[in-house]
Amino acid sequence: MPDLLEKFLAETGFALLEYRGNGAFLPIAGLPRWFQELWKEENSATIPLALCEKSAFLENFLYEAEEFWKAPGPLGCQSETWIEKSADGREIPLQARALLLNGKRVITIFSPSAAFREQVQTLQTARNALLDHERLAREIQKKEILLHCIVHDLSQPLSVMHVAMECLANESISERSKQFLTLGKLASDQQETMIRDILHTFSADLRASLDAGTQETSSTDLLECAQRTMTALGPTFDAKGVKLGLAAAADASAKWPVRAEASRLQRIFANLLENALRYTPSGARVTVGVEDEDAFLKAYIDDDGPGLPKDLRPEQIFGLFMKGKQSGGKAGLGLYFCRITVERWGGSIGCATRPGRGSRFWFRLPRAVSDGSAANATEGRHSEVAEGRPRQPVRPLRILFADDQKDIRTLTTYQLKRSGHKVTAANNGKEALQLFRKGKFDAVLLDQEMPGMTGDEVARAIRKSEAGKKARAFLVSSTGNTGPDDIRRLKEAGFDTVLGKPFRLEDLQTLLSSVGQAAPVFVEAQNAPLGGNINFADLVARVGGDEKLLKRMIALFQRDTPKRIAAIGAALRRKDAAGVASLAHALKGSVSIFGVETPRLHAQELQDFARAGDLAAAEGLFAALKEEIANLLENLRGYAHQTPARPASNRPSRPRPPRKRGRHRR
Amino acid sequence: MLQKKICMLGSFAVGKTSLVRRFVEGFYSDVYHTTVGVKIDKKDVQVNGTSVSMVLWDIYGEDDFQKIRWTYLRGASGYLLVADGTRKATFQKAFELEQRAREEAGAIPFVFVINKCDLLQDWEVDPEQEPQLAGKNWSVLRSSAKTGEGVEEAFSLLAKKMLG
Repeated sequence: MPDLLEKFLAETGFALLEYRGNGAFLPIAGLPRWFQELWKEENSATIPLALCEKSAFLENFLYEAEEFWKAPGPLGCQSETWIEKSADGREIPLQARALLLNGKRVITIFSPSAAFREQVQTLQTARNALLDHERLAREIQKKEILLHCIVHDLSQPLSVMHVAMECLANESISERSKQFLTLGKLASDQQETMIRDILHTFSADLRASLDAGTQETSSTDLLECAQRTMTALGPTFDAKGVKLGLAAAADASAKWPVRAEASRLQRIFANLLENALRYTPSGARVTVGVEDEDAFLKAYIDDDGPGLPKDLRPEQIFGLFMKGKQSGGKAGLGLYFCRITVERWGGSIGCATRPGRGSRFWFRLPRAVSDGSAANATEGRHSEVAEGRPRQPVRPLRILFADDQKDIRTLTTYQLKRSGHKVTAANNGKEALQLFRKGKFDAVLLDQEMPGMTGDEVARAIRKSEAGKKARAFLVSSTGNTGPDDIRRLKEAGFDTVLGKPFRLEDLQTLLSSVGQAAPVFVEAQNAPLGGNINFADLVARVGGDEKLLKRMIALFQRDTPKRIAAIGAALRRKDAAGVASLAHALKGSVSIFGVETPRLHAQELQDFARAGDLAAAEGLFAALKEEIANLLENLRGYAHQTPARPASNRPSRPRPPRKRGRHRR
Repeated sequence: MLQKKICMLGSFAVGKTSLVRRFVEGFYSDVYHTTVGVKIDKKDVQVNGTSVSMVLWDIYGEDDFQKIRWTYLRGASGYLLVADGTRKATFQKAFELEQRAREEAGAIPFVFVINKCDLLQDWEVDPEQEPQLAGKNWSVLRSSAKTGEGVEEAFSLLAKKMLG
């Protein structure tokens, strides 16, 4: 029997030791090979081994073991794995267990090699995956920040153009000028749509790569979203003379629940319908249908166009930056957005030429388990506003407006004052907060990206200061970033509404008309940028015909710009990339008001180089920028002596209710 | 010779094992091998003319898969609290571990080591701006197990604190 025990222990690699006190152990049976390798003891049954001197871990474990021997519990007493190193550097994993056998204090030690290797491998895989995920999340965050910076920078000049166009539209201008104005509006509308497409598409794409494998579980009604989009786009189809209708087979009384998010689902329908409209001749028809495919629900859009291009495979059509050769789209992002969004939701998308004529674009989405609500609350309210909610007449408000871009601040303040509001302007977030604490305001309009304190931070501080008070200011965020995540974040910060940049005064007036209502409306304002080239003679018109205002802006520019240039030079000398980027950003904003492209582009590039940390390139560009700015300042000096033709009327108009908008603008 | 037990505490993959390896063996490997269990190493050093044998307990990083067994701190004279400058979440974990260590072992000396300073451009945290560090009066050092920067200093500073 003892032989059998010896063999068993040797075979299984167990060391069985009786504890004799004072850190000494007596082997009960023969010791395994690993024991000899580590502690080089003769296999003696009579001499106690001072193992605690050899293993700090065992010494530590002995405390737990002694507690167990004093009061044995049902769970026993087992150590975790620890690693001992042999003389030749080999790492040997070990585990110990304390036992009380026939009143004897016993410890078994064994080397769990195979199990340990498996445990290590599993943990290594899990941790590698975690690290990869963290790395990916960081990369995506960086890209999103960069993307938002780009969108912000692209939106900024559009904001200026918007307000300038508003000024112009309020003046008495000739029919010819009105035509130019309409053209400018159309072009800038298109540009703005492209900016938004870029933001939404790439944001969705980046998020999708992070959330790969996860699915949104909200339930949305497929047909209801289709119908809502059809209603919104109806006038556009009417304008081209294309009939838009629902397929006869689509059962509008049934529920069509899919796993999707309502606003993006409507965007998918809108992209597909716009695509169909682009290729469908006047007098022809576009039909929307839905079909039940058990686990999936399918939607399709049939058009009477020329069918798919023969040189492209259907899957290529949904690629990034794919644009049709005829009646080409915008940025080539619309169908790409559809694909990545549908695939993210676990669906599929495709297209085919229909027999006879036209093409069919379709997508299928997993059926939702419960029917849920078709659209979320935000979406519902959004439509209420966009589709013509009765507006209250504008009443004079006390408005606090903060934007670090001087030109936007000046023009928006001017326009709001013209509308009869009392406006207090702040240069940055901190100043806005100070002003808010000192004064009383009905509404606060905050730019998002301001130095020192962002719009978010100001909003939180305002909401904190309002705690326990009855009065509550109406907070409006003005930002170029209006994706779903942004809106959620802004709402959490305490904003009542978001006004996408560039904004139109009419949108702002619409939002301000909600001030004082019991339940503030939370909407993402639909933007309509203005456009058109600005030349020297247009400057007066850009600021609403107010020559005095223009001269003041020029004087400010002449006063501040040399200081900014000097500050950029100083930041470059001290290798302060963030400082250079910030100063170049401010300079770009102030230059853009004068409509001169080269210095604005130089400032933009300087900002880009600084953000990328390429200060050598930034320094190279700085010389050219200084030269351009010097030229601009010289030209503006010349302008100061000119007397531009005064527009027909430059008197402020009386406050008036905004026009009703009959349909949802994209 | 005076013997002192030192524990390495921190989140997983912050470089605890690499710091010990760099300190004991003067060696660094770029390959990440997760630590399962406890590894114990020794190094003899001179601290202000006193010979000290440092017994280094390299304890696995805590995460959802492995929770630290706090009995390992028994008898420890001090510990290195390690975070990874490129991963902000590891700072939060370090703050949690410090609190637990104080509860379990009392106010024993420690040094907060922010590792991976060779990747300074990727750091998510500026220790000087970190609000959770403000007012704590901790000993904070930057290190890189890869380049060796700050490694000897960290152990040396801890040894000095332990010897009072």
